[in-house]
Amino acid sequence: MTIELEIPIWRIKYLPKNLDEICGRKNVINRMKDMIKKKNFPHLLFVGVEGIGKTTIAQLFSKEFLGQFFDMNFKIVYANVPLTDDERKQAKAESYVSTSKIGSIAGKKITTPAFVQVKVKPFVQLKVMGEAQFKILVVKNFEALGSNQQGFRRLMEIYGSNCRMILITTKISGIIDPIVSRCQLFLMSQVNYDSFNKLIYIIADNESLEIKDNAIEILYKITDGKISRAIDLLQLCSISSKIIDLNKLYENSQRFQNNLPRSLLLMAFRGDFPKARELSRKIMSSYKYNSHELFNLLLQESSSLPLSRYARIHLINLIADADFRALNGLDNDIQVSTLLSKICLFSEYL
Amino acid sequence: MDLISLKTKSNIPWVEKYRPKSIKEMALPTAKISGHRVNLSDELIDFIKNFFNEIKRINAENKKIRAYNRTAIEKDQKEEIKLAPEKAAILLEGPPGVGKTSIVFALANDLNMQVMETNASDTRTRETLEKKLKETTKSRDIMDFLAQSKEKLILIDEVDGIYGTKDRGAVPTIIDLIQNTQFPIILCANEYKTNLQPLYKKVRRAEIHPLSNEEIRRIINKILKKEKITNLKEKDLNLIINKNNGDLRGIINDLQGISQGSTEKDNTGLILSLKRDSTEEIFSLIRDLFQKVNTLKEARDLTNKSDVDYNFLYKWVNENLPTFIKINEQIANAYENLSLADEIFGQIRRNQYWALLPYFYDLFAGGVVLSMKERPTAKGFRRILFPRYISTGSYSSAEKSFVEKVKKKHEISQIEVIQDLIPFLKLLCGSSRKELKNVSDWLELDAKEKKLLK
Repeated sequence: MTIELEIPIWRIKYLPKNLDEICGRKNVINRMKDMIKKKNFPHLLFVGVEGIGKTTIAQLFSKEFLGQFFDMNFKIVYANVPLTDDERKQAKAESYVSTSKIGSIAGKKITTPAFVQVKVKPFVQLKVMGEAQFKILVVKNFEALGSNQQGFRRLMEIYGSNCRMILITTKISGIIDPIVSRCQLFLMSQVNYDSFNKLIYIIADNESLEIKDNAIEILYKITDGKISRAIDLLQLCSISSKIIDLNKLYENSQRFQNNLPRSLLLMAFRGDFPKARELSRKIMSSYKYNSHELFNLLLQESSSLPLSRYARIHLINLIADADFRALNGLDNDIQVSTLLSKICLFSEYL
Repeated sequence: MDLISLKTKSNIPWVEKYRPKSIKEMALPTAKISGHRVNLSDELIDFIKNFFNEIKRINAENKKIRAYNRTAIEKDQKEEIKLAPEKAAILLEGPPGVGKTSIVFALANDLNMQVMETNASDTRTRETLEKKLKETTKSRDIMDFLAQSKEKLILIDEVDGIYGTKDRGAVPTIIDLIQNTQFPIILCANEYKTNLQPLYKKVRRAEIHPLSNEEIRRIINKILKKEKITNLKEKDLNLIINKNNGDLRGIINDLQGISQGSTEKDNTGLILSLKRDSTEEIFSLIRDLFQKVNTLKEARDLTNKSDVDYNFLYKWVNENLPTFIKINEQIANAYENLSLADEIFGQIRRNQYWALLPYFYDLFAGGVVLSMKERPTAKGFRRILFPRYISTGSYSSAEKSFVEKVKKKHEISQIEVIQDLIPFLKLLCGSSRKELKNVSDWLELDAKEKKLLK
C-alpha cells in the first residue's frame, strides 16, 4: 500500500475542494449555484486580475455541474501556450479538404486558425458523453488569441448546444465585442478582507503558525488580496519559525519579487552593453518570456527607478519603440539588444 | 549516336556517363514502403508487371461492357471499370542524388521499355501536360498494331517542383492521368509538399534512403579505376563523401570537378571551397565585414559574393556585434540599423515584400559595420561566436518532464509552472532542505528535475 504523502506546496494543499469552500465571493457562488440547480447556463466570461482564482472557480463549478461525467466532458485549454511543431503540422495537414468531398470547398484550403483547429474543434465537435447536459470547455488567457478570437464567433453558436465555454481573461479590453456579447459576464474583484482573514486563520491553525490580526492586514496589502500569493508568502515565512510578524513578512516579500528586470535596467544604465545582453538572454530563456512580456516588465520597473521626470519618459519612449518594432520583426534578441544599446547610450547623457 | 561513341567522348558529365544501364549493376538504395523495408527493384518490377496484367484484364472487361452498352438501352448502361490509383502509380520520395531517376531508367532499359519523362524544367500547366502525356496514356490502339513498338513507362520527375501559377492545374491533371492511364506511372519527389497532398493520398509511396558510405566508396573506386585517377588522396576522398551526405550525384560531380580541374597534389582547399555554408566561410566573412570594410560598396560586394544564407547571416552579425564594436554610441547606431533590417525582413517574410530586400542587405551589413568610426585593428584576434537561438517556445527535457509531473497532481499550464511555480519553489527549497525533500518526494522528481529547483 502506498502512503498518501502530504502535499508540500500549500497553495495546492489549501485549494478549495468545492464551491462552498471558496473564500468570499458569495455573489458569484450564489449565481453559480442557481445555474447548477437549473441545469443550464450560457457561455461565461470571467474577468479579473491574475492570481485571484478565476480558473479554480471555473473548475469547481464545472465539476459540480457535470457531477460524475466531469472527466469525460471537461477540457481546459491555454491560449497563451504556443503550439508545438507537431500540432502546427497537424493543423496544416487538416486544413486541406479532400478533393473527393462533395461541395464547393472540395480541394480547397480552410483558413481556420491553427489553435482552434487543433485544440478547440475536436473537443466541441465530439458528442456529449454520458448523461451530462453538455460539455464544458475552459479557455484560459483568452485575450492572448488576438485576432484568432474571430474563429470562436461561429463556433460558439454552431456548437453552443453541444458545448458551453467558459472564457477566462485578465483584460476585458483585449476581447472583441462579438465575443463579449455572446457571454454572460462575471467580474471578479479581490477577495474582501473578512473572508481573507478567516482563511488565513484556518491555515495558521492547521500549520500551527502564530499570526496576529495586524500581520494579516499587512499580508492582505502586500499581496493585493491574491490568496495564492499570500499562501506562498506564509509558507516561505514559516520555514524559519512558526511565529509570523511584520518584519518577517516584509523581508520575505522582498525576496519574493522577481528583481531580474530591475537589475537588467540598472546594468543597462551603467552602460555595460555586453553584460546587459547576457542577462536579458538569461531572463528570457529561464522564464520563457517573449520580447513583449520582457518589455512589459521593464515598463513596470521603470516607474520605480530613481530617475528624473525627463529620463523616465525617455525610457518609456525607448521601451515603447522597441516593443513596436518587435511586432514587425522576426528576431526577439535583436529587438531586445537594440533597446539595451539605446539605454546604454542614454545613460551617458545623464 | 550509340553508346560506344558516347563513352569515348570525354566532355560528357560523369554522372551521365556512369548512369547505370541495368538494374543489376546498380547499388540499390534502401527503400521503405509504409514503414517496411523492401527490395526496390523487385518492388518496381512487380509493380510494372502487375500493372500490365491488371490493365489487360480491365481493358478486356471494358470491351465487353462497351459492346453491351452499344446494344442496351440508356438506363441499363454499365459504367466502365477503372484501375485503382495505387496500382497505377508509385511515388519515390528521397533526398537528391540517391538514384531515383537512375533506377527508373535502368529498369526501363532492362525491361525494354520507353521512358516518357517530364520534369521541373518543363512548364507543367494543364495544357502542356495533357499535350505531352495524356494522349499517349489514353490511346494504345495504334501502338498495338506495331508489334515491335516498346511499352511505355511514364516518369513524372521532380513532382515537388510543381509550383505556383506557372504550373497551374498540374496536380489535378496528374491525378486525372493516374486514374485513366494505360501505362505505369512513376513519380519522384524530394520532399513533402502540402499542396501535393491530394496526389499523395492516391499513390503508393516508397521512401528512398541514401546509400551507405561503403557502397558509395565501391562505386567511386570503380569510377576512379576506369578514369585512371591516382592523384586523389584517401583523406580527400573521405572529405568529398562526407560533405555530400549520401548524395551520389553530388559526389561524382565533385570528383569530376576536382580530378579534371586541378593537377595539384593537395586538393583539400579546393574541396573545402566546394562546401557551401561552411562555418569557416562565415567566420572569415564576419571578420572581413567588421575589420576590412570601409565603404558601403565593399560591404555590398562581400554579402553579394558569399553563398551564406542571409537568413542566418544577420543573426551572425547580431551575435558578433559587441565583439567588434565597443563604444556605446556606435553600438546604438549599429543596432538602430540592425533592428530596422529585422523589421524589414519580418515584412518580407510575412507579406512577401521582396522588393524591400536591398534595404535589408544594406542595413544589416553596411549599416552595422559603417556605424564604426574607425576599423578595429586587424591585429588582435577576436573569437567569432555562433549565434544563439533563444526561442521562447522551447522547453528543455527536464522542464518538460517537470511540468508533466506537476500536471499529474494539479491542473496547471506549462507557462504558469515556468513563470510562477518554479520561481516560488526555488525560493522555498533554496532556504530549506526539508522542503526540497518533501516537494521532490511528492512530485517524484529525479535528479535532473531537482536541479531546476536549485
